[in-house]
Amino acid sequence: MQIEREIVFPASPAEVWEALTEPERLEEWFATEVELDARPGGEGVFRWGDGEERRALVREAEPEERLVLDWEDEGQVVLELEEVDGGTRVRVVERSPDWSTALELHALAWVAVA
Amino acid sequence: MGRGRVEHVFDALGDPGRRSLVEAVSSRGSATATELAAGLPVTRQAVAKQLAALADAGLLRATRSGRETRYEVTPEPLGEAVAWMVAMGARWDERLDRLGHVLSKRPSKGKAAR
Repeated sequence: MQIEREIVFPASPAEVWEALTEPERLEEWFATEVELDARPGGEGVFRWGDGEERRALVREAEPEERLVLDWEDEGQVVLELEEVDGGTRVRVVERSPDWSTALELHALAWVAVA
Repeated sequence: MGRGRVEHVFDALGDPGRRSLVEAVSSRGSATATELAAGLPVTRQAVAKQLAALADAGLLRATRSGRETRYEVTPEPLGEAVAWMVAMGARWDERLDRLGHVLSKRPSKGKAAR
């Protein structure tokens, strides 16, 4: 299963890329505490105020174009940037790998109940 | 919620096309037949018919929006899968909102203001 969002920010791809990849910028919007080496194979640690911590591996990093993080626990975030009139379009896809499994299990449960 | 309801839900999700429509509506938060048909090799009428079937099964909630019907997912029948999407979608909406504020605070032109 996955969720998708698309939004245009009135900023250049370079500015958006910086906000997506520099730890001190990420701490302004993504998580409370961030460590990130935004190069392919680099590692990331994200902590939130409620004690949640998630670790990630950088799968892809094309500056000003595409950043893909694989979550250590499972799932993936894809961030794509595209320069458009008036700014930069950011497309976010967050995937959890068990979409079809979850649906099949629910479907099976319904069959069992029926 | 007797046997009829259960079978109804299962029938509605037994078809891969309808499953992917539920997924598409979930990922967008809400959608109309026109919006969904735009990205698919099928007619708006075909999509509208499937959406109506999914609403009958209780998987989608329909609301009138001008001349169109807008659909959103009802979390109950799908349990965790949709709960994940709703929660993760809300989380990204908040993050992107904050990112917008962060980017608008630094109206640097080309050079990164530090």
